[in-house]
Order: sequence, then C-alpha cells, then structure tokens
Amino acid sequence: MPKLGESVIEGQVARWLKAPGDQVEKLEPLLEISTDKIDTEVPAPASGVLLQILVAEGETVDAGVTLAFIGQPGEELAQPVPTTAAAPTAPPTGAPAASFPADPAPTIAQRPTGRAFISPVVSRMAAEHSVDLAQVPGTGLNGRITKKDMVAFLENGAAPPVLSAQRTSIASSPSAGWALNEDETLHPLTSMRRAIAQHMVQSKAVSPHVTTLFEVDMTATVRHREAHKEAFATRGLHLTYTAYFVMATAAALAAHPRVNSRFREDGIVQSRRVHLGIAVALNDGLIVPVLRDADEKNLQGVARALNDLTNQARSGTLMADATRGGTFTMTNHGTSGSLLGTPIINQPQAGILGIGAIVKRPVVRSAAASLLPSADDAIVIRPMCYLSFTFDHRVLDGAEADRFVAHIKEQLETWI
Amino acid sequence: MAEHNYDYDVLVLGSGPGGYVAAIRAAQLGLKTAIVERENLGGVCLNWGCIPKKSLLHNAEVLETLLEAEDFGFTFENLQVDFGSAIKRSLGVVSRQTKGVAFLMRKNKIDVLEGQGVFQDPHTIEVTPAEINPDAPARTVSAANIIIATGGRARPLPGVEFDGERVLQYRHAMRLAEKPESLIVIGAGAIGMELGYFYSTYGTKLTVVELLDRVLPNEDPEVSSEVAKAFKAKGINLLTGVRTEAVEVSDSGVTVTVRNMQDDSTSSVEAAKVLVAINIVPNTENLGLEAAGVQTDERGYVKVDAVMRTNVPHIYSIGDCTGKMPLAHVASAMGITAAETIADVETLPIPDEKYKFMPRCTYCKPEVASMGMTEAQAKEAGYEVNVGKFPFLPNGKAQALGVKSGFVKIVADAKYGEILGAHMVGPDVTELLPELSLAQFMEITPAEIARTVHAHPTLSEVIMEAAHAVEGHPIHM
Repeated sequence: MPKLGESVIEGQVARWLKAPGDQVEKLEPLLEISTDKIDTEVPAPASGVLLQILVAEGETVDAGVTLAFIGQPGEELAQPVPTTAAAPTAPPTGAPAASFPADPAPTIAQRPTGRAFISPVVSRMAAEHSVDLAQVPGTGLNGRITKKDMVAFLENGAAPPVLSAQRTSIASSPSAGWALNEDETLHPLTSMRRAIAQHMVQSKAVSPHVTTLFEVDMTATVRHREAHKEAFATRGLHLTYTAYFVMATAAALAAHPRVNSRFREDGIVQSRRVHLGIAVALNDGLIVPVLRDADEKNLQGVARALNDLTNQARSGTLMADATRGGTFTMTNHGTSGSLLGTPIINQPQAGILGIGAIVKRPVVRSAAASLLPSADDAIVIRPMCYLSFTFDHRVLDGAEADRFVAHIKEQLETWI
Repeated sequence: MAEHNYDYDVLVLGSGPGGYVAAIRAAQLGLKTAIVERENLGGVCLNWGCIPKKSLLHNAEVLETLLEAEDFGFTFENLQVDFGSAIKRSLGVVSRQTKGVAFLMRKNKIDVLEGQGVFQDPHTIEVTPAEINPDAPARTVSAANIIIATGGRARPLPGVEFDGERVLQYRHAMRLAEKPESLIVIGAGAIGMELGYFYSTYGTKLTVVELLDRVLPNEDPEVSSEVAKAFKAKGINLLTGVRTEAVEVSDSGVTVTVRNMQDDSTSSVEAAKVLVAINIVPNTENLGLEAAGVQTDERGYVKVDAVMRTNVPHIYSIGDCTGKMPLAHVASAMGITAAETIADVETLPIPDEKYKFMPRCTYCKPEVASMGMTEAQAKEAGYEVNVGKFPFLPNGKAQALGVKSGFVKIVADAKYGEILGAHMVGPDVTELLPELSLAQFMEITPAEIARTVHAHPTLSEVIMEAAHAVEGHPIHM
C-alpha cells in the first residue's frame, strides 16, 4: 500500500484492475485505492505476471503493507502467503508489488492511527480507558496528544468508556450495530465515508455549533456575472457564482481575522493567511480542496483556481496535499437546489459558510426608513440567496459572527 | 507582522541567553528586530556566569586529576599551580563566546543598540549611553513588540554591602587576582557549591554556610548527602541548618556569626573573604516599567503568562527578571516561545507546571543533574510511584574513570509509566540528563529506555539500568 501523503496512513483497495495470472506491464494501472484524502490508481512497480493478490477489494490496510506479488510466468510462490491481515512471513521469489520492500509490514489494528506520534504514556492511558484517540484533541507540537490532553479528555469531554467503545465499533466494524433484516443490504464504508463520519461526529462533539442566517439581494452580482461571463468563457474560464462568494468571503475573513481562527485550550489561534476550503460533492461523498491565499486573488484568479480544483476533485487527480491547511470552509449547497442549510464545522476551523440557491423571490423595498406601512412600499422581484454561517461559539459570539456575514452580504449587494 | 509605524517589529531589552535567543528567533521568523545591551553581549551567562565558571571548573578538574595522578601511575615533583592562568583562560573563553553572539546578531540582521534602555511609553524606549560604549549616541526607538530580558543580579545579605574586597558576589569571585587563603560561602545552592569547589580545589580553606538542613537543598536528599560526603572528604567545612546572623569585616578578613537552627547556639567562623550566593534580585527597577504600565510582583519580578506576555499585550518578559526559574536555558526557551508568539506561528507555551521539568545542573564534582519531582514531591502530588536507582560503582566505564560514587535515580508514575523526575549525581551526569529530559517531554516510559540499547562501556548504561530498576529488574545488580 503506497503512502500517498504525509498524513495518509492507510488505504482501502477499491478495485483490482488485473486478476491473478494476468500479464502486467510496469507502470500499467494495477489497482485502485481509496484513502480518506484521495482516490487513485496504483501503477504496477514491475513487469511480469500477477501471481497472487494478498489484499482483497474492500479491505483497508496500513501504508507499507504488501498488496500482491508480481513474478515471472509459471513462477510459483515458495510458500503461499495468507491473504490480507497477516504480514507476509516467507520471502517470495517474485518482486513484492506496490509496497515499500525495505519495511516489514506493520501489524494491522491496535496501533492508534491518524497521528504522527502517540507516546507510550498516552498509549497506556488510551488502552486502559478504551479511548479512541481520534476523538482526543492534541495540544502538543504538531497536534500531538499529550498526557495532559488525555487527562482533560477523560475528565471533561470523554464519553463513558462503554459508549466510546461502542461508537468506535459502529464507525469501524461492519459486524457491530443493529442486525440486518432481510430487506436490507450492507454497503461497507469506504475510507471517505468513514472519514466523513468520524469528522462529523467529532466536530459536533467538540464545537458548540450556532447558526446565523442572512439573506442577500444578488441583483448586483448577477448583473456583473451576466456582463462578464462571456468574456471569461473566451479565456476558457467558467465564471460561477461560487467565485463571487469566494471573493466576498475571503475579503471578509481578512477583515475579520477572528473568524479565520481555531480554538485551542490555551487560546484562539488566528491565521494571518486565508486558505479557503470549498466543499465539492462527489459521487460517494465530498471533498474539500483548499484555495490557498484566496484573499490575494482577483476574480479571474479565483475563477481559474476554482475551475482547476473542482475538475481535479471530480476526476480524482487532486494532489493529496490540496485538501490540507484550510483556515475556513464554505459549502455552496445551493447548487443542488437547497435554499438553506446548517453545515457542520470542518474541524479545527471556527466556522463554515453555507450558501443557498439563488432564486427570484418577491421582496419589499421601500423609500421610507420606517417599518410602518407606507405608500412608498413596493413588492419587487429580486434574485435572493440565503447565507447561513455556522460558527464555533467558543471562538465567536453572535454579534461578531453577524458582522462577518454582513460584510459578505454588503459586498455581494454592491458588486460593480 | 501587521502594518505599523514603529521602528521595529520587536525590540529586546537585554542580550543574555534569553534576549539574544529571542532576537534570533524573531529575526528568523521575518521580524525586524533590535536588541539593547548596556554591558556586554551575552549577559551574565556569557560574561559572568555559566561560561567563565565552566572554564574555571574545568581548570579545577584538571588540577584534581593531577593531584590524584598517582592513582594512575604518574608521579612528579614541584607541581606549579598558577591561579591567575585559570582566570585568564576563562576570560579568553568569554571573549570568544561574546564575539560569537555579535556574529549571530550580524548574521541575523539584528540591530544592536548599545546603551541602557528605558521605557518612555508602552512602545518607546530611550537608549542612553552606558558601560558597553560610553560614546554611543543617545536615541529613542519604538517597536510594535518589546521583550524585557534584563535579567537579575546577586542578592546581598541585608545590611552587608558587596565591596569586592572582603564581601564578594559571584562577579567578584569569578575574577579574583589571587586565590584567597580562606573563604566562607553563604548559600549552598548551585553557584555557592560550584565556586566553593573551584576555590577548595585550588587550596583555599573553605567553609559553606547553608540555612536549610543540607547542601543543594533543592535536590533529592540522597543527592545532597552524596555531594556533602565528597565535599567533606576534600576537607570542606559544611555548616548546614544555620542562619547567618552577622558578617563583620575587618582589615584582616571577615567573621561570620551563625546560629544553629536546631539548638539555637551561635558560633563564628573566620576567613579572608566571604562569598554571598543566596539567590538573585531582578533588574527591573530602572526600566521605566511604570511608563509602560507593566506590572511586577511585590519582589519586582515581571509577571508573565505561559507565552511570556505581561499585563500589557505587546510587551513580553523572559528569563531571570520574571522569577520563573533563573537558569540560562530556561530563559532561552522562554525567549523562543515569546518570539514565536509575537510572530504568530505555532509555539509551545510554558505553563507554570512545566518549569519543574527544566534541567537543573550543578557543575561541582561530583556533578549533579536533575529534572522533575523528587520521590517525596511526587507522592505529595498524589502519584503512586516506582523508583529505580542504580549506582555508578558497578559500571565498567565509571570503574575505568576511577569513579566510586554516584547514582541515577528515576521516579516514574506506577500507573502509566510517565517519568516524573530524574536525579543524578556522579561523573558527567549533566551530559547524561538530556536523554531523560527528552523521554519526559515525549512521554516515553522507563520501559522504552530500558529496551533502548545503550552502548557498552558508557556511563549512559547506568540510566538504562535505572530504567530497568523502575521496571523491577536491573541486570547488573
């Protein structure tokens, strides 16, 4: 199992493109794998015949585990190697395929995953209290979980051990949970599905979510887009409304750096750079590529970056690192018709902006300042859009959050 | 750095091991940085403390080796011992180290402002000419962030002035022209014990006076008694558990009167000179801190939080003037945290409970090194502990060196194996401590240390054995 990125420590074999006995050429696509960051094809590391497949489709193994053997036609493996799970014990004559041969295959399970380093002390505490370390926020260097974090987690945030163990098993083991009845079929979790499930549960557990709602008159923005989209198209760029929302959000983040932050036990960590994550829906799940330094780009730059990122996300060619380092996230759920959503925060960020569909609605406009009925009141039809901003109440309070959204609204309503 | 109209992003007051390290880290992170120094680059550590002292102590070690040379089959007559050369050598080391700091300032494009810095307002410092360069121009500079790293100085006994002749502080003791015939050291902490060891080895008749009931009272009691044993074997007079009542200076020398805390009896000791080494006071009174609005505690220490911020958000303070832990390496660590906080990059805050895990070293012979809690302190803190202790005596390398005493003691939490403290006395233990500091920082347990193969024959095997001992099964015992 190749290691596709710094933080990618396991992968699921999605599909074998060759069967045992098939001839393979070096660099020819051999299998598809799926990780929590990216789905990709793995090329054959050598030419020859696919002798044996060790890891079946749907199985998830750690990076570095041998997936299959490629050898010469007619060659037999000295000793058949048990499939999946167990590490290969006898050195076969064929070249190990798609693995790092220098490393012995790490044992699967037991090891806490998803962090660079788990200290022996933390490991012992986790074992004793049946803690899923993925649930524990780390405050050490590079997010390392320290003993202090464990103590804090066990004292405050931790669900009782039984519940925690149960939650883990629901997330990771297909045998747990309610038994299937005859009308049901089980679809094993993909890495992405599992990653989403874990992130969503963790986010709700960690951050107190509050949502504030604004409506925006999109007339000015629509007018601008209508006037410019053809010019963009001649440059090969698809000018979407998302580009406008990215521009307005990035500028608002730069002006309200408190929103561009994350919560830690010892304080609010503000980032001086604006790296905006944009949720992109895929066939099974979603991915959040990050538009780096979004506040430093003009509309054309944003449009181009968005085109590239969404194309790469949908074609599965996104670089593994392209989903990392976001300081804020927005999700344009309006593209699928939704008027109003309350998205879940992408941890460890302080908030997420949901964008509803732009629809023509009757609204009241009046020259009179008063809220009392007036002869100046008129019902007009305008392209309207709901913005929902869900934020971490540990970091932001309502008034501050509202000023941030108001800044976005103001830009969109006065776009020239 | 956000935009501003100040001369500098960061201005550091004081170029000791806290200040100059903070300045380098700030400059590395792209901040426009200046440092103000009134005396010499490097502060007390480089000029009057760690560095010259280490040089003097090495002289003492060499001399001690020569004096014991017969054990190794060397005999010679007419050994000439030149005290002045020891001082001269230490000044040479100081000069090279100070130049090194000047080089680092240039390399990192840090402006060195020579003079005494005083706050005019929270962002403005007036720099007036001082000892470092009396001809330097007076000027006023401003900075977005300021780090106070002005250090501390020796605390005098109430009513007894340092005169540099009869009544000495460490600065005097570091540069005496001649070895005193006899010396009384008041205070058996690290400085008193180190300088006492140095003079005693050079032949000064030494008396050490300590208020608490043992030498190195901050160390593990077993460590203290091991050091006391070695000092007594050198003929040093140790008076512990006694309060200094009076210091009388005469033409011929000094008389120190002490009161025994146990039986309330008084007695007096006479010597040519007395060295007072009883803690420090912070250099915070002539800085204009009032103009900046920076608060100090009742003893004058600047109050800071875990990222070294004072009550004024853009003003930081590090090192001895904060009263956290007056050690050079602690000041450096605090400086890095302060600089990284200013630059708004990831840093590691140092909350109060972390200071007890800072390394503590005493460079007398035998050397002492420790970090964390003693067994008694750990129990008091509510831990159930496993203690592993292993002596240097059976260790092959120690035998080869002719070392017959000393030990390594590791205190670990019985439940999760966390290392709570390490206490060592013996050969080169100050060089052995970092393994245990790293283990503590990374939360590695004695089980992993015991299973880490340590080269043979080395002194470090004693750490491995002590780790085995925590687990209950030392090999060579």
